[in-house]
Amino acid sequence: MPDFLMEPFMQRALLMALALGPACGLLGVFVTARRMSFFSDTIAHSALTGVAAGFLAGFEDPTLPVLSFCIMVAVTMLWLRERTRLLNDTIMAVLLSVSVAMGVILLSLQRNRWAELDKYLLGDVLSVGWSDVAWAAAAAVAVTVAVLASLNPLALLAAHEDLAHVSGARVRLLNYGFVILLTLAVSLSIRALGILLVTSMVVLPPATARMLVHTLRAHVLLTVAFGLTGAVGGVLLSYPLNLPTGPTVTMTFGALFAASLLVARLRSPARP
Amino acid sequence: MTPGASNARPAPAAIEVHDARVRLGDTDVLRGVNLRVPMGQMVALIGPNGSGKTTLLRCLLGLQRLDAGNVRILGEPVGPKVLRRVGYVPQRLPLDPSFALCVREFLALRRPDTRLWFFRRTRATDDILLRHAPGLGMEPLLSRPLSGLSGGQLQRVLIAYSLLGDPELLLLDEPTAGVDTPGEQDFYQLIGDVHARLGITIVLVSHDLGMVFRRASWVYALNGVICCEGRPEEVINANSLKAAYGIHVTPYHHHHHSHAPVPPEGVPITLHRR
Repeated sequence: MPDFLMEPFMQRALLMALALGPACGLLGVFVTARRMSFFSDTIAHSALTGVAAGFLAGFEDPTLPVLSFCIMVAVTMLWLRERTRLLNDTIMAVLLSVSVAMGVILLSLQRNRWAELDKYLLGDVLSVGWSDVAWAAAAAVAVTVAVLASLNPLALLAAHEDLAHVSGARVRLLNYGFVILLTLAVSLSIRALGILLVTSMVVLPPATARMLVHTLRAHVLLTVAFGLTGAVGGVLLSYPLNLPTGPTVTMTFGALFAASLLVARLRSPARP
Repeated sequence: MTPGASNARPAPAAIEVHDARVRLGDTDVLRGVNLRVPMGQMVALIGPNGSGKTTLLRCLLGLQRLDAGNVRILGEPVGPKVLRRVGYVPQRLPLDPSFALCVREFLALRRPDTRLWFFRRTRATDDILLRHAPGLGMEPLLSRPLSGLSGGQLQRVLIAYSLLGDPELLLLDEPTAGVDTPGEQDFYQLIGDVHARLGITIVLVSHDLGMVFRRASWVYALNGVICCEGRPEEVINANSLKAAYGIHVTPYHHHHHSHAPVPPEGVPITLHRR
């Protein structure tokens, strides 16, 4: 076993990747199918306000404030979508910019915390503690159980919301449940990947898998495989290459994406 | 309840709408709609854009709350229980190409006996799917991705999906939007076959007057209220269309030179003008 695997911070980072890579991918299948990529980006950015508000309120570990604030933003987004005629994109752009601005202002009020901005924007794998690993593991279990148990109604919901309703799916419960799970996975992944890059773990694995398969069954399985490979591979590569972990994970996803694009083109030049 | 039984209670109507009112924003979309569709008929609900067709359909499917009035389908108030006996064919699927779902997986979602954990494919599943949606040409499409189908193929898949629920009432929303003209003729042939074979109530919601003239046994013209209803040849004449659409329309009759009777003057037209 290489020496660096004995480092506790490395072990924590690997466990985080092992838990969150497949979970984010699993959610990502439906995020991309329902054109919600920007949604997960908005949730990620709203974490900044959660971090800043958490510090201001005296939390040493901002996980709980981040989770609460992100869920609040996510639910606000769903509520505005149901109750107003605003376009999804507009709602998300409003919430994203306002929460980033608010987060930066709240951080600027606490001069001693200003350095935290970089940590959260770009991720800092060294700051991952055992409590983060425990949160990530719990989130991964929750996501896996919930998504696999409601795979059928989720698929129907992604195909046609009204048809899902008429077919007996509990559309509102599914929508809110899905968004809360997505928020959980995204906000917990920020520690390692950073606000700017966290969406890559949700969107890239399903996009990579989609080019190679045509059934939902294969799509889900391959996405989970890519999520695992990219996240764990990125963490492993970052140490010997001496590169920042978050960006290395994203670049690994990017490399898998490029490879799958190439394979898809070689198999059938007409398509993607 | 056999048709011959003399003192049997009359069968409930497939659809009963009583004084339905819906206001969306500043617009009274439905202004007191009254409608009764008997069981087993194939009827059309026509109206121009903005006449409330889609809103009325959404009320029937429990997707839109009424501000006043009430709606019953198959003799029951609209709810999850009765919706199990209803098939709904939407205009189209707004599918994102990044969603990998093949026809087999989609169709299997409709039935408890085909809904397998994690979409495991079995021979038995295929048999059930093909048996409950016969005559729709599903077999060669089963392994195809949904997002790669033509408009006509997708339309057939959507009908197959709704038939897999063994519906007693089938609601089709602008069924031939996005289908070319020959495809449209095939489509109505298909719906006609389904109606003849299963005897279920079918409601076609459409602004396509030519189709209505040929296929439906009864037509309801909607424009905020039911302006008129009757047999197609009765409703589709200049006066009643003027009432429905508020403009002068000269209907195009496909059998202009045949011996098919052109609607004579004085045919009874039920008018519910307010």
